Amino acid sequence: MSARRLPEGPDEAILRDRPVTIEVDSKLIHCFEGDTVGSAMAVGGITITGRSFKYHRPRGLQCMTGNCPNCLVTVDGIPNVRACTEPVRGAMKVVRQNAWPSVGADIHGWLNFWSFMMPPGFYYKVFHRPRWAWHAVEPLIRSKAGLGFAPEEEDHRTRERISLHADVLVVGGGPAGLAAATEAASAGANVVLLEQRREAGGHLLGEPGGRVRAAGLVSAATDVGVKLLSGTAAFGVFDGPIVAGWNPDALYRIRARHVVFATGAIEQPAVFPDNDLPGIMLSSAVDLLVNRFRVLPGRKAVVLTASDGGYGTAESLQRAGASVRVVDLRGEVGPTPTMAGLAPVLGATILRAHGRRRVRAVEVGPPGASGGRKIPCDLVVLAGFAVPSTNLLSMTGAKVEFDDHAQAFLPVDLPPTVHAAGAVAGSRTTDGAITQGRLAGLEAAAAVGHGSAAASERVGLLRLQAAADGDPVVLPPETGLGKGKQFACLCMDVTNKELKFAVEEGFDSMELLKRYTTITMGPCQGKGCMLASQRLCGKATGHTLAETRPTTARPPWTPVELGTLAGERRSPRKETTMHDVHVDAGAEFMWAADWRRPHHYSTPGREVEAVRQRVGLIDVSTLGKFRVKGPQASDLLERLYPNRFGDMKIGRVRYGAMLNDEGVILDDGTVCRLTEDEFFVTVTTGNTAALERWMTWWLADWGLDLRVLNVTAAYAAVNLGGPDSRKVMEKLTDADVSKEAVPYMGCVPMDVAGVPSLVLRIGFVGELSYEIHFPSMYGEHVWDATMEAGEEFGIEPFGLEAQRILRLEKQHVLVGQDTDAESDPYEAGLGWMVKLDKPDFLGKRALIDLEAAGPAERLVGWTADPSIVPPEGSSVVHEGVWVGRVTSARRSATTGKTVGLAWVPAGWAQEGTHFDIQFGTVTIHATVALKPFYDPEGTRLRS
Amino acid sequence: MTFVIACPNCGPREALEFSFGGETTRRAGPEASEQELAGYLFFRDNVMGRQIEWWLHRDGCRKWFLAERNTMTNQIERTFWPHERGRTA
Ligand code: FES
Ligand SMILES: [Zn+2]
Repeated sequence: MSARRLPEGPDEAILRDRPVTIEVDSKLIHCFEGDTVGSAMAVGGITITGRSFKYHRPRGLQCMTGNCPNCLVTVDGIPNVRACTEPVRGAMKVVRQNAWPSVGADIHGWLNFWSFMMPPGFYYKVFHRPRWAWHAVEPLIRSKAGLGFAPEEEDHRTRERISLHADVLVVGGGPAGLAAATEAASAGANVVLLEQRREAGGHLLGEPGGRVRAAGLVSAATDVGVKLLSGTAAFGVFDGPIVAGWNPDALYRIRARHVVFATGAIEQPAVFPDNDLPGIMLSSAVDLLVNRFRVLPGRKAVVLTASDGGYGTAESLQRAGASVRVVDLRGEVGPTPTMAGLAPVLGATILRAHGRRRVRAVEVGPPGASGGRKIPCDLVVLAGFAVPSTNLLSMTGAKVEFDDHAQAFLPVDLPPTVHAAGAVAGSRTTDGAITQGRLAGLEAAAAVGHGSAAASERVGLLRLQAAADGDPVVLPPETGLGKGKQFACLCMDVTNKELKFAVEEGFDSMELLKRYTTITMGPCQGKGCMLASQRLCGKATGHTLAETRPTTARPPWTPVELGTLAGERRSPRKETTMHDVHVDAGAEFMWAADWRRPHHYSTPGREVEAVRQRVGLIDVSTLGKFRVKGPQASDLLERLYPNRFGDMKIGRVRYGAMLNDEGVILDDGTVCRLTEDEFFVTVTTGNTAALERWMTWWLADWGLDLRVLNVTAAYAAVNLGGPDSRKVMEKLTDADVSKEAVPYMGCVPMDVAGVPSLVLRIGFVGELSYEIHFPSMYGEHVWDATMEAGEEFGIEPFGLEAQRILRLEKQHVLVGQDTDAESDPYEAGLGWMVKLDKPDFLGKRALIDLEAAGPAERLVGWTADPSIVPPEGSSVVHEGVWVGRVTSARRSATTGKTVGLAWVPAGWAQEGTHFDIQFGTVTIHATVALKPFYDPEGTRLRS
Repeated sequence: MTFVIACPNCGPREALEFSFGGETTRRAGPEASEQELAGYLFFRDNVMGRQIEWWLHRDGCRKWFLAERNTMTNQIERTFWPHERGRTA
């Protein structure tokens, strides 16, 4: 066991019977379960935990609570993990960051000596002239900047998104938060408590005897039903208020009716030359190391304090075998037994530190003195300068106001559903925090309907006790003396001097300083530097601290893994009920909206040929399908479509396109009249959800008497097309499928392969064809039966690509492919369906104008030499100027040409007009063809 | 957008379950002037304060309804069915 490990103590949280070995930069460290990587490093004598961001200065553990930037390490490939709070696991591999070749011998330490070259915003100023200079140095600067490296491997961890609803949410599981949660839950409220650390208890966890006390508070809370989420950090408050929290497994959105913020206070470092040396720590770090992890971080300690709190830490160190000197900023202190043994130096501060790779001595003297007594030491403890952690509260809209007694900005003007308790509200003793917590918990519970007479009596009592407590706060001087860097911001390596220069340059307010020097913008987000920055800014601008407000608080308050924010990507993937048959048939699949659809089975060419010559079968289950039923069903369709439906006979099908009130085509499909008051409507696959919204919206607005039901998933559908399709149908059904019984654009209910179906004679592919809709559970059965029946005729399954060629040969428009958000029916060649003599329909008013003006562009068919197929999107050019574009193009074996559709100037919409299509450097000649390329008279599909 | 909307059919739910349909408009019928058509298609009142707007309970009952929302606070003052418009809007 390491000599630095202390003997067992009453507050230790390590399991000495469970040894763990971890590797830090190939050094093996033997520690115990319960240790963190940070405490293990302390046990292993590693004082330099990383190198600083800009100057590559050595840095060591400072806070042990995850608030500073000093201990960011790469753990098993994941960068920027905070060593001090990351529990050790066996065989863990830890690499310290921002150093090359190693943290111990970082060759970029030279940057430290060139720091005069890097004033704030140096990248805005230096290397501007000559112009090439920036390009020359940029890669170098970029390689030096940044923290850690993004892992190369894909991240396979799963992260959930969890929404929670609570009566009362308590943020922060210290004494105040635990007390608030317990009271609110006892009163009957449903309470969630968020604690960022793995163990609740707040600062108690580092205090002698504190662990037992914390455990008592925790069990009191969980006993009354508080849902305690430990290891889960609140990182933002959003409109609602919604509190966002995260842990490595989940992102939480928590909506509570009342929120109690018990976010505590954050200890602050003091600013003096070389205040960033390893070995200079906050009292929280020392308390935790000594009492919780039982490691002695130094043998000769100097404790700087201005409150009685620092003496507790000093005493712990002393008991652990260190020699301790206390430096107390206060001129006089009340005699307490502890202090006697520690013989404090009163009315003094630390003027500067000495050391290179760790602190070796400090100079101590009265604030402002030009020199002081040098005290050798290997540990400096900054004790008790804490700032209320008001950031999350500020995100609720609460204001902060300077409090003289606390020398800090405390929350005021809380929104009505927001409460603050404990150190964040100015309390500076554990008992005071608990009292405030109780009060907040009772008030919140009462506000959500869990009050009682007894409770309100207690509220009155607690209010009297809950006034701010603790001695007035004394802060150390803004700066120390002498040369050597005095860091205000450890994350971004910003010194007091740099802040002063920046103010002289005119960036004379906190918000400007922040943006210019990047103070408070690093990994700590101001946790350890806001106070110092405010004070230095105030000093440089001649303002008091009270007049120098902190910068606006914004999420994230604690760093969040991007993977957590991204969450699980759940992209829907839909398969028809015939999917497995397609897989067995060897289909190549493609995405069509959320659907997986066969692109082809054999080759598109062969499939096209089968449909044209014999018979083919395609799964069209993905079509959007609606049943529109009710006494006013035809009224709805009359208003939704420019077509006429009122006069439609039962058993007929009509092609229609829906428009919006701009006259733009939204979608197209078929409408079948099943009965006097029921229609079956199909829409494009990818548009189904949007069209459902569209139709039900107008239905809601018009208040017609009917129902629109989306039956897309309830019905499967296949299209059986080709000259032999009737012969196949005859084998599949006893019903009459002759031209007379099931005419073109007719629909007839019948059994197909024993399954009750609706059969539509429509001709998207341009051949005699039957579109069969039937209950989706029979998908495989109908498909198999049809393929079997078609076998003797040489049936082939065909995919989307073949269908696209087939439809293009017929010049059938694909809405969304050939049209866009500006296409109206006249220019798309669908003007024939518009019945302007109807009283009203969506788009009518706009179409009246559009018809009068006439189209400026037209969607036309064109043919070209079959040797080349221009990509969709190619330009239509006239004398070198862009005048239109190609929307579809395919090679058509049936016609022996390349065929397509394109938008061209309206004047070109004449049979035989020649024009040029350009893509890249290639120009091809095309000829307008207004009639379908294949079977222009439509005799085949009517057959 | 993280407020709660009370669907008249299902009760209070997170706004994330709903789709926004925009403020209510006066549709320009076939007789409307060009000005009225343009106003209906391209212009919105965009009030700061209370406005009546369309909402769809997309991930719930899939019904459209109307809500009166304060655009500054996202406070939903009330929700109601379109046929209740005459009486309440
Ligand atoms: S020591 Fe780990 S964050 Fe400060
Ligand atoms: Zn609903």
